[in-house]
Amino acid sequence: MDRVVLLVRMAIRNLLASPINLLIGGLILFGTLVFVILGGLLDSLNQSMQRSVVGSLAGHIQIYSSASKDELTLYGQMGSDPDLKAITDFPRIEEALSKVENVKMVVPMGVSGALITSGNIVDTTLEKLRDLYKARDGKPSPPKLAALPRDELDRRIVSETSHMRQIIKVLRGDAEKAMTDMLNGTAVDPYNLEALRRVEHDEFWADFEKDPYANLEFLENRIAPIVTDTSMVFLRYVGTDLDKFEQSFDRMRVIKGTPVPRGHRGFLIADLIHEEQMKLKTARRLDKIKDARANGRLIATDDELKRFVKENRLQTRELVLQLDGIKTQALTKSLQDALGSKETAIGPLLSELMTTTDENFDQRYQQFYGLVVPQVQLYRVNVGDMLTIKAFTKSGYIQNVNVKVYGTFAFTGLEKSPLAGSTSLMDLMSFRDLYGYLTADKAEELKEIQKQTGAKTISRENAEDELFGEGAEVVAEATAGVIDPDTAMSGAGRKLREEDLVRRVYTEHEFNDGVVLNAALMLNDPTRLDETLARISKLSDEQNLGIKAISWQKASGLLGQIINVFRALLFVAVAIIFFIAMVIINNAMMMATIQRTQVIGTMRAIGAQRGLILSMVLVESMVLGLLFGGLGMLAGSGVLGAIAAKGIAAPNDVMYFFFSGPRLIPHVTGAPLIIALVIILFVTVFSTLLPAVMATRISPLRAMQADE
Amino acid sequence: MSAIVTIQDVVKEYNLGATVVQALRGVSLTVDKGEFISIAGPSGSGKTTLLNLIGCVDTATRGRVEVAGKNTAELSERELTDLRLNTIGFIFQSFNLVSVLTVFQNVEFPLLLQNKLNAKERKARVEALLEQVGLLTHQKHRPNELSGGQRQRVAIARALVTDPLIVLADEPTANLDSETGQAILDLMKSLNQQKGTTFIFSTHDHRVMRYANAVVRLADGKVLGRESPEDAVAHAMGLETPKHAEVRTP
Repeated sequence: MDRVVLLVRMAIRNLLASPINLLIGGLILFGTLVFVILGGLLDSLNQSMQRSVVGSLAGHIQIYSSASKDELTLYGQMGSDPDLKAITDFPRIEEALSKVENVKMVVPMGVSGALITSGNIVDTTLEKLRDLYKARDGKPSPPKLAALPRDELDRRIVSETSHMRQIIKVLRGDAEKAMTDMLNGTAVDPYNLEALRRVEHDEFWADFEKDPYANLEFLENRIAPIVTDTSMVFLRYVGTDLDKFEQSFDRMRVIKGTPVPRGHRGFLIADLIHEEQMKLKTARRLDKIKDARANGRLIATDDELKRFVKENRLQTRELVLQLDGIKTQALTKSLQDALGSKETAIGPLLSELMTTTDENFDQRYQQFYGLVVPQVQLYRVNVGDMLTIKAFTKSGYIQNVNVKVYGTFAFTGLEKSPLAGSTSLMDLMSFRDLYGYLTADKAEELKEIQKQTGAKTISRENAEDELFGEGAEVVAEATAGVIDPDTAMSGAGRKLREEDLVRRVYTEHEFNDGVVLNAALMLNDPTRLDETLARISKLSDEQNLGIKAISWQKASGLLGQIINVFRALLFVAVAIIFFIAMVIINNAMMMATIQRTQVIGTMRAIGAQRGLILSMVLVESMVLGLLFGGLGMLAGSGVLGAIAAKGIAAPNDVMYFFFSGPRLIPHVTGAPLIIALVIILFVTVFSTLLPAVMATRISPLRAMQADE
Repeated sequence: MSAIVTIQDVVKEYNLGATVVQALRGVSLTVDKGEFISIAGPSGSGKTTLLNLIGCVDTATRGRVEVAGKNTAELSERELTDLRLNTIGFIFQSFNLVSVLTVFQNVEFPLLLQNKLNAKERKARVEALLEQVGLLTHQKHRPNELSGGQRQRVAIARALVTDPLIVLADEPTANLDSETGQAILDLMKSLNQQKGTTFIFSTHDHRVMRYANAVVRLADGKVLGRESPEDAVAHAMGLETPKHAEVRTP
């Protein structure tokens, strides 16, 4: 012990004696500082990202069929979804997995995406008009309208008609603008122009009542196609057991509307998508300006905000198209009062309202939400709407599913993250319908059809006999079907089935008993993830479950690798720093050894064994490393602590996901400190090994010869 | 008196490139316990080589070197180091103190290598020796804060701290002025008389030879003879060999 103390003491004194040691120490300090700070930040980032990934979609572990062509990536890969083989016996797998120690919950899933389209404004206005006429003429129509008195129906018809004329006016304006822009290459189809001219005339509208259905058809066929702004939104969704999902992903909360009632079919839109893509663009831009101003940005100086204001001022068309006659009148009046303007046209009035500055913004914002919003549809899809989702099934045909939107949801802390907020939720039944898998409903429906038509299933082997053999019953005379267009083709019948599906309550067994593509596993103790993964793999082999289990990190694909990439970069940077330190240490210790030949020789002469000389040199560089490395660790921890006091604000919405909230609060973790210690010890010992061995070779004779 | 060092027909050769240089050419010598003996001779006569062999820091090319009853040729590197640590004390021409250690730590160093005494015992031993060499008050000083004579006294204390049987001193006064050199020799002599430690020191200075009980004269790698200090001084000064010259050859 005393010897060690002496060696350390000698080491410290030797270190202080040479200025080059300060340079080496500085390098080690710098390397350690960088490593501890960045390592700590990356660890914190990894943990917060884990919270985001695990808490928003992945769970701790994902399982999927081991027979799948692709690997499961929850956030898609290169824009396409992985080709997963469906798991057909989920109940058996769920039962087996639930029994694995540390598994808290198994949530069945399927990730997919589809385009949803809401008909364009002409289509919806015309549909409204048609329903109103039908109600007036006593034809089958939505029950709500059928119950209205005649004069109310007439009033609404007038209002919708004027709305239609408003739309036509806007379209005509667009066409004329396009004509003047023709030099820029925008052409107007004369065929469309002719149609517009015709419906613009009062004549057309004066005669409208004579044959409303024919005129409506003309508008549908000739005018509706001109409007190109059919809104299409790509929705990415997870089909899942919504009850289990809510229980497992406890950061999820419903923002608008309600959760899907237990056991029901239903859809929850990701709130961010609802806000970003389904809200009126003008309103969304106003919201963004408000947010930005709250964060200290100014319209006067911020280019993005200036652009928003300009777009709001110029793009009033979206609002005007929504206004029917009654609403136009009411809004014109209230805007004139609010703005103190004498302008009579609604377009310029809205432009004036949208001419916002830092001074009038708050007032205009309130006026917009108070006066304009009540007259228009703020969101393209509202809570309570029936959403028609069209998707390509596995086998390539298009499948439609109608599903009720119960509300919107977000994950606490990730409200603004496009990554966490881009996936909506759908019940498993609808998902299976969309994906083209047989659901309980479908099976029932098929059975019913079979019974009604007398169809029977025949096997491939017997097909020939059954079809052409004697007494073949299968072939029947075809008879022309009689189709009643009002009941079979139009909405009424379909609506009934829809309503029935919406109301239907499924048992957990029904939800589970069907295909799923993957499943999320929540663990009791996430630190034992690797161990649990191994246990599941073993179980799958033993019980022939045919599943593959991967960690959240792997399931998040490239996203999960980002941290590893950063970490690799950090290691490379630190490796370079320490490599330089190693070279310098090596040189410095060589020099020091040569300079100390006489001292070392003397020590050997008076009885020091080679081992002591070796440890003397090694201790010296280790003391150097530990001293400055320790300082670096302290400084690094201090810097991290200082950063943690305020946290790092997410610079943009994407970083919300990585930070798992608006701020990253880094903390000093043990791992970088321990790794830094190991690296320092390795670097110092390794770089001193050669000089140390050289020192042990110094002969005690050198003590005598030195000064001769 | 029993022999503590016995050297028989020792030859030491060095290879300098292609040529072989003989530093010692068949040297024989016996040193008895408690002697205060000087090895004298001009530069290049082989004084240091002979001391190196006795000090076990080098081995003979041929012949036999026995130190404290051990044939050094039969010892391993490790055993030689142990022999040096426990049997021999070294005093160097240029003191060879460890500059980063204090006076106390320099003297304590061999005790730490021996690892036989505890801290308290070591302290007592080191302080007793520092007192003997008159440097107790300087124990916290670093070597560079001392004069040459003081440094050599520290070196003497370090050489004696392990209670060695033999102290080897290579030109111990060469780097000192004559007054300080004399004081150092007085100190060595008194320690030799008090403790009975054998002192073997090399010198080419006739003033130094006078302190010895006997002087072994070397020239060209050969022992010219073992003489009384007076004869040796006379030889060194180029005078005639006195009649009572005693040449002892084994």
